[in-house]
Amino acid sequence: MARFPASENESESDPPAEPEALAAFGRYAGPATLILSSLADGTKHGYALTKDIDAFAGVRLAPGTLYEALARLERQGLIEAVETDDRRRPYKLTAAGAVALRAHLDAQRRIADVGLRRLAESPGHA
Amino acid sequence: MTPGWGSPGRRAGRLVRCYPATWRARYGEEFAQLLIDDMSDRPRSWRRTADVVRSGTLARLTSAGLAGGALEPDAQIRAGLAGLGFALAGFLVLGIAIWSQLTIGWQWSAPAAPATTVAMVVMSGAVACFLVLFAAAGIPIIWTLVRIARRRELHRVARPLLTAAGGTVVLVVGSRHFGHGWPGTGGRPWAHSGLVPGSLGAFSWASTLWVTSYWAHPRALSAFPAGEIAWMAASPLALLALVLGIAGTVRRLALPASVLRYETRLAVAAAVAMAGFLAGAGSWVISGGPAPRGLFRVGALDDLGVVAMAAALVLGFHCVQRAQAACAATRPAG
Repeated sequence: MARFPASENESESDPPAEPEALAAFGRYAGPATLILSSLADGTKHGYALTKDIDAFAGVRLAPGTLYEALARLERQGLIEAVETDDRRRPYKLTAAGAVALRAHLDAQRRIADVGLRRLAESPGHA
Repeated sequence: MTPGWGSPGRRAGRLVRCYPATWRARYGEEFAQLLIDDMSDRPRSWRRTADVVRSGTLARLTSAGLAGGALEPDAQIRAGLAGLGFALAGFLVLGIAIWSQLTIGWQWSAPAAPATTVAMVVMSGAVACFLVLFAAAGIPIIWTLVRIARRRELHRVARPLLTAAGGTVVLVVGSRHFGHGWPGTGGRPWAHSGLVPGSLGAFSWASTLWVTSYWAHPRALSAFPAGEIAWMAASPLALLALVLGIAGTVRRLALPASVLRYETRLAVAAAVAMAGFLAGAGSWVISGGPAPRGLFRVGALDDLGVVAMAAALVLGFHCVQRAQAACAATRPAG
């Protein structure tokens, strides 16, 4: 995740963003976050991931994009395939994946908190 | 009952072929199933097709070492050199077509515009550089082939070597034959007014005769002799056979790391020569006048050619950079 330059408006209550595993995903960070979030409540195969992500995020990941992100997450050891005889191979979150997802979401929440608080404090946007 | 050509299974199978074999071996079956499931929701979707084609192309580029994370150093150097080789081949086809066209004009009369003169000198210098670089790059390859032949293991590279040899024979024989029709001096070497030997100009012109806008004007093209049209159709195939044959041969040779580093240094020089050639061609296209007698007129195909050459140059530099980075990883310490 990109670090934001310190500004004179940044107060001590705004903690700096920490580097985390999904930062290396670049433009795949969005799909990767959605996939890890979907797998956080159990194993799912590709089509089930697509439907679940569509349901909770309103985003329909196209098949090519989904598998680009799945392959990267698997290479990084953040998810792993579950052995099956079915053509629909399920994936599950690994312990490292859970840590990475938590770190990423914490960082996102810090940014969201700062943005919302500043909007609330700004007279023009309250 | 077997699924039809347009059935989801068949369509998914065709889309999966966008990906390289290694990717298909790991993900092919489950990805095809996802596509079939997706087609049950959206039977027809150009967005899905475009996404799969984009993603598959990216996977192929990554597999070839031209995008994404680097491969193992040796494989990455080979991939970078192969990428430069293909970029250079495309670049030279277009560049030689332009250059040989200008050599014809200069056989008749020196250009009036200084920019055209500069362009011709620069491009001719770059062509000389390419010839030297090809010879230098070929020496260790030929030496390796000789060693393989001594060990009676030439069968390992027989198919690509024969492909390259076949392409070379067709190109050389055909270009020499059709070079007799050169509009310059008829192939006389070192004609008094030319910058380039007439035989070289004629050969270059004949070997790139197919790079022409006549393809867009079938009626005008049909006025050409049948043999010349056949040559214009056959010569690009011969060139393709030559390039693929060389690439296949080099790929199967176990070249030591020192040779790969040597070839990478030559690749850097080739990329610089490409930049020089392009600067010359650009000088003619942008500032060169057609005078005298319209001998140096710039056509729409020349404009397009320069743009395509610029794209090939960018690709070539990208490949060389990746090969250089891999070289740095293989360089012995100290």
